[in-house]
Amino acid sequence: MVSLARKNLLEDIPRFLVAQAGILFAVTLVTIQLGIFSGFSKSTVKLIENSNADIWVASDTLVQLELTLPVPVSELIKARKMPEVARGDGLIFSGAHWFPKEGELVRVRIIGFNPQSSLYQPETVLEGSVSNLTEPYTAMIDIFDQNTLQVEGIGDQLQMSSLPVEVVGMTEGNTSMISNPFVLMSLKNANAYLRAGQTSQINCQLPEKGSQLECINMFHPEPDDQATTIEPNIEPRNLAASDVVTFILIKAESGQDLSALKDKLEQKLNNVKAYTKEELINITETYWQQRTGIGLVLGLGTVVGIVVGTVVVSQILYSSVSDHLKEFGTLKAMGASAGMIYRIIIEQAVWMAIFGYLPAMLLSFGVAYWINSSQGTLLLITPTSAIAIFVITMAMCIGSAIFAIQKVNRVDPAIVFKA
Amino acid sequence: MASPSVTVQAEQITMFFKSGQQEIPILKNINWKATRGTIQLLMGPSGSGKTTFISILAGLLTPTQGQVYLLGQEITHLSRQKRTAFRREHIGFIFQNFNLFPALTAAENIEIILNMKGVKKEQARYQAQELLQQVGLHLYANQKPKDLSGGQKQRVAIARALAGSPCLIMADEPTAALDSQSGYQVTELLKHLAKEKGCTVLIVTHDPRIQDVADHITYLEDGRLILPN
Repeated sequence: MVSLARKNLLEDIPRFLVAQAGILFAVTLVTIQLGIFSGFSKSTVKLIENSNADIWVASDTLVQLELTLPVPVSELIKARKMPEVARGDGLIFSGAHWFPKEGELVRVRIIGFNPQSSLYQPETVLEGSVSNLTEPYTAMIDIFDQNTLQVEGIGDQLQMSSLPVEVVGMTEGNTSMISNPFVLMSLKNANAYLRAGQTSQINCQLPEKGSQLECINMFHPEPDDQATTIEPNIEPRNLAASDVVTFILIKAESGQDLSALKDKLEQKLNNVKAYTKEELINITETYWQQRTGIGLVLGLGTVVGIVVGTVVVSQILYSSVSDHLKEFGTLKAMGASAGMIYRIIIEQAVWMAIFGYLPAMLLSFGVAYWINSSQGTLLLITPTSAIAIFVITMAMCIGSAIFAIQKVNRVDPAIVFKA
Repeated sequence: MASPSVTVQAEQITMFFKSGQQEIPILKNINWKATRGTIQLLMGPSGSGKTTFISILAGLLTPTQGQVYLLGQEITHLSRQKRTAFRREHIGFIFQNFNLFPALTAAENIEIILNMKGVKKEQARYQAQELLQQVGLHLYANQKPKDLSGGQKQRVAIARALAGSPCLIMADEPTAALDSQSGYQVTELLKHLAKEKGCTVLIVTHDPRIQDVADHITYLEDGRLILPN
């Protein structure tokens, strides 16, 4: 069938381009808002996604990845002894202070992991090697935090907490939009930095005769005159049972029922809760999306984009239909059914959606690439979100056609005989 | 009920338009009919009710009272959808201002009506070319209306009115916007439709040039027939 909709749309190219610019703006706004929202969500759980662990064991006080209390290494030792556990490693995820060469103090997040284990490995190592982290007082940083941390390159010597630190590698993609810069290091080193400037004390008690011993780690800041408790020329020691980690990463023996293993870990270990990778991702994403204003703000931006788009498309379609009212009257007089008239208007809306969506996606991909490469900020446009945005664009444009359809419905076909 | 040769019959057509509390009479008790293969002229001064009358005959307006039979089918009491379908099937329209779709070429202006009548794409393209050939415009098939003269536009409109071979042609001032040469060509085409194709052609006009080809002329004044046929 001759496409009156498409021909009407393309009849006046400058007008069409102006109209499409409005749709492009709205779709780009929605795409970028959703992209930031998805990127933000993903960045909050990247640490979890980069692990190969089947189960994450954390303190039973865990609220989300970044809000939890430490777990004693003694629990890690217990977990390793379980026959269902193929491998267990500690992961330290904790705050520290970074002293740039000049300027203000920077709050950083230490990620302490076992460099020789596959349970956690950082994303994309650009320079250096993870194996270099076994050296004392060494760390890797993300290339996008290089300026913030004032690191010129590999080999730079700076200070973190009260100890020296040497940068031995650069990574990419190990950042979070809501967290402080990540500093990756071995568990031994991480433990040394955590303990620097603090004393620890472990208090144990036997609540009842025959029951299990309950231990609590107590940390106290050192007085200023004794702040450096570890000599930098002394190699960091291995973690002792009295030390703490933030998470215990568990790789199950093959064929294990993860749900049963989770239950067993919670029974055998004290004051812990076990999560599958997906559960911890879900808890963390939900926390940031629903319990903070960030989800609301980004969600609101998306809604504004959809509303703006709907208004723009409604106006364009309404005006286009008004301009071609006599043509619609002619069609009605000549016997066009209501369905045919609706199809013409909806087809016009569909073409507007397609012509608006394609350049908007190209623009959004460009913006995402630019933001990611220049700022390290993740603006995530996945195939699923691209399809979702296409569906939203279609719904927006077709929904907008309702007003135009109402206008055409009111056209009296007898107008054709009025000169 | 009308005889088989009567293609259009109006019985006691009365039409009022409401203006506030008042009802203004537009047509008063009109009885009228047209037979197959004739050219019927509807003439009268402005405001006499010609446009309202042709709109009622075409099923575009519903009279306040009275019935219209087209091809033996009483249409005034049909549902809107059925009247629309009836027009699509049996009536071709020609307008004073051509009412061509400016975004479409001459051929596409015809194709879209053929598509609407259920003719498939390729067949519609072929038939559109044939119809343009009948009005002498096959060389202008790919021209848009803005590139055609007034006379050419009206010939395209006539070709469009013929799409799907309707039995009734309703034309509103078809020569009003045309120069004498184009007006003559259009008049000849309308005569051809009636005499060669057997269409009933109903024309609302002020143009005396068409009177020569008319079989019957009906005059309307103040909503009444002056000389019923």
